[in-house]
Amino acid sequence: MKTILVVDDEQNIRFLYKEELEDAGYKVSVAATGEEAFKKLKKQVPDLIILDIKMPGMDGIEVMRKIKDEKGDIPIILCSAYGQYKQDFRVWASDAYVVKSADLRELKLTIKEIFNQLKAG
Amino acid sequence: MTESSLGLEILQEVTRIANSTLDLDETLEKIIPVIKNKMHMDACAIYLINESDRLLHLKASMGLPDKAMHINLGIGQGVTGWVAQQGRSLALSEAMQDPRFVYFPEIEEEKFSSMLSVPILANCPPLGVINVHSIEKRVFSPEEISVLETIAGQVTGCLRNAIQFHRNQMTLKETRILYDISLAVQSTLKLEHGLWIILSAITMGEAGGFNRAMLFTLNEKNQRLQGIMGLGPDSQEDAVRVWTELNKKKGDLLQWVIKEAQRDLHRDSPFHNFVCGLSYPVTANDNILSETVLQKKPFNITKAKEHQLVSQEFIDALGVDSFATVPLIAHEEVLGVILVDNRYDQKPITEENLRFLTRFTVYASWVIENSRLFSKLLDTNRELLSMKEQLVQAERLSALGEMAAEVAHEIKNPLVSIGGFARRLKDKMTHLSQKWEDNNDLKSAANYSEIISSEVDRLERLLKNTLIYSKSGTLETEECQLNKLIEEVLYLFKSGLYEKNIHLVTDLQTDLPLLKLDQQKIKQVLINLFYNALESLSLGGLLKVETFQEEYAQKQKMITVRVEDTGGGIPQQVFENIFNPFFTTKHTGTGLGLSICRKIIENHGGTIRVENQLGKGVIVYLHLPLQNSPDYIKN
Ligand SMILES: Nc1ncnc2c1ncn2[C@@H]1O[C@H](COP(=O)(O)OP(=O)(O)OP(=O)(O)O)[C@@H](O)[C@H]1O
Ligand SMILES: [Mg+2]
Repeated sequence: MKTILVVDDEQNIRFLYKEELEDAGYKVSVAATGEEAFKKLKKQVPDLIILDIKMPGMDGIEVMRKIKDEKGDIPIILCSAYGQYKQDFRVWASDAYVVKSADLRELKLTIKEIFNQLKAG
Repeated sequence: MTESSLGLEILQEVTRIANSTLDLDETLEKIIPVIKNKMHMDACAIYLINESDRLLHLKASMGLPDKAMHINLGIGQGVTGWVAQQGRSLALSEAMQDPRFVYFPEIEEEKFSSMLSVPILANCPPLGVINVHSIEKRVFSPEEISVLETIAGQVTGCLRNAIQFHRNQMTLKETRILYDISLAVQSTLKLEHGLWIILSAITMGEAGGFNRAMLFTLNEKNQRLQGIMGLGPDSQEDAVRVWTELNKKKGDLLQWVIKEAQRDLHRDSPFHNFVCGLSYPVTANDNILSETVLQKKPFNITKAKEHQLVSQEFIDALGVDSFATVPLIAHEEVLGVILVDNRYDQKPITEENLRFLTRFTVYASWVIENSRLFSKLLDTNRELLSMKEQLVQAERLSALGEMAAEVAHEIKNPLVSIGGFARRLKDKMTHLSQKWEDNNDLKSAANYSEIISSEVDRLERLLKNTLIYSKSGTLETEECQLNKLIEEVLYLFKSGLYEKNIHLVTDLQTDLPLLKLDQQKIKQVLINLFYNALESLSLGGLLKVETFQEEYAQKQKMITVRVEDTGGGIPQQVFENIFNPFFTTKHTGTGLGLSICRKIIENHGGTIRVENQLGKGVIVYLHLPLQNSPDYIKN
């Protein structure tokens, strides 16, 4: 079973993602901040990380850079409330960028595609 | 009766006649017999110099044969001509013996022996001549000579009055014509119609009576005179036809002209088209038209062939040897030139004609200038209005934008959880209600959560639209497959379409080239369009989505997205407004959907087009240019 780490400062969003992704057949762990994410990473490296960009303290982009530096190539999906980070070149280092929505089908589709590509590649 | 009392008697009589009427011809007719009879002469004749041909025309006579009435004498020609030229009286007891005598058979002068000829003087040159003839040879006494000279003086007064009267009549007529024309011109806002009416006035009898008129306007950029209108018959036969017709119309000529102007028929005339094909440079010493512009004065060309500034080519083109040109001047600036000729009746263009034309063109220039100013005013006004509108809108939007951006971020996350859980709830409830089919509570609960999640959808869309609308149009483009984008968006609509019983047909051309697009924004366009279709298809129906590549204007390659629904179309008054921001017919709509679509598509250098099939449905076309097409550059 593929494992996914969801990093988001909003508790209900973490909860929503966990429920939905588990229903979709993944093993999900969650973290509320960048720091907490790194603690979890030390214990176990997931197959994919979903990162909210706008978080108090370390923001999603910083977290991503650090993960890429320390842990190498774990696929990362960046999320934000609106498309405003699209023009930020730092986002380009991520594997995908998804605008948050109550409708999680786009997110799930993206996850599936990334795993499919990994399998193929 | 003494000669001086005779003189007095004649003078009294003549004065009485002169004062009794203003009509010159009538006065002369009445004076003649008085002179002839009281002076015991056998014939008397009055010649007046015609202003236009400068010949002495026999105006009134008695004792001369009828055929004499048609005689015109040159100044200096014969005894009468000599008197007119010299301004001096001449008494000849044996007229035929005088070296100045020239025999005119029409006058049958051989009957007469003696003649007295006195000039009608105002100043130099004289206005005419009075002659008396006697069959019997006689010597004229100084008294007789002075009586006739005094009568001539009286006639001068009459003439002056008559001329004055005539002038007044003319100015009156002119004023009336100008007034009529101004009414006519005011009846139309189109410059072209105004000009046509002016040229009509110049050519149609009353005002100018010229056979043909041509109008050239000055193009300031390339300094050329361009023919823009010609009015007149196309041939001799045509001329006869037109003038007979015009004669019949006399009374309501003006009405006719106005009506005719609006019919735009003049554009079909060969003469008009001939004029439109003429163009001359404005260069010193080059051609007569440009000279009219440069010297800002009219020219009356009587011998075109001998004129330096008139080329043979020009003469051949016009088909005349005489014509006149008048500049159109407004505020010291030359706007163009009017050229007139009398090709068909060959009437010479008189100074008076030209003076009238000049006065008239002042007015014509004024009309042109006015119409220009007016349309400029309209333009500026329109610009100002739209600028004001834009400002108001921009202000509104930037305020809206700032607030929206702030609020949106705070709202988005709770919205995602509300909507997300509502969806989950709905799934669970649906699942449960399928299990316990007869449990109505479960069914309504499923329905409630469905409502929550669709309302959240709407809120999300609203937030996204307001954000996009308020932001500047910078695009984040990357190469992508349009079809894939469409499929992704359609995937989100799948359940919505199914629930509303809408049949989806897609026909996406498989080998489309990659397009440089801002994917988020194009997705938003598609979402807005699909929602519109969905909302129009509340009773179910067909949604058809197609993509294809096509050539536009034979060279511009375009990718077209075609979204068709069978939702009944848009009522006409609504249709005119669909692209206006905040215009909506839905109580839940923002009215931003289509205006955002347009903004985004135009930022991509494309166009959006809505085809409304009233009673059937709506087809929206998105035309996106292929990026490697250099001749499609939009700011
Ligand atoms: N496919 C369609 N069929 C019928 N009417 C349409 C269609 N598309 C647009 N309209 C009409 O055009 C109007 C403007 O559309 P637009 O998408 O700009 O705003 P809206 O749909 O009213 O609001 P919003 O998009 O914010 O929900 C609509 O209110 C509707 O009356
Ligand atoms: Mg809409």
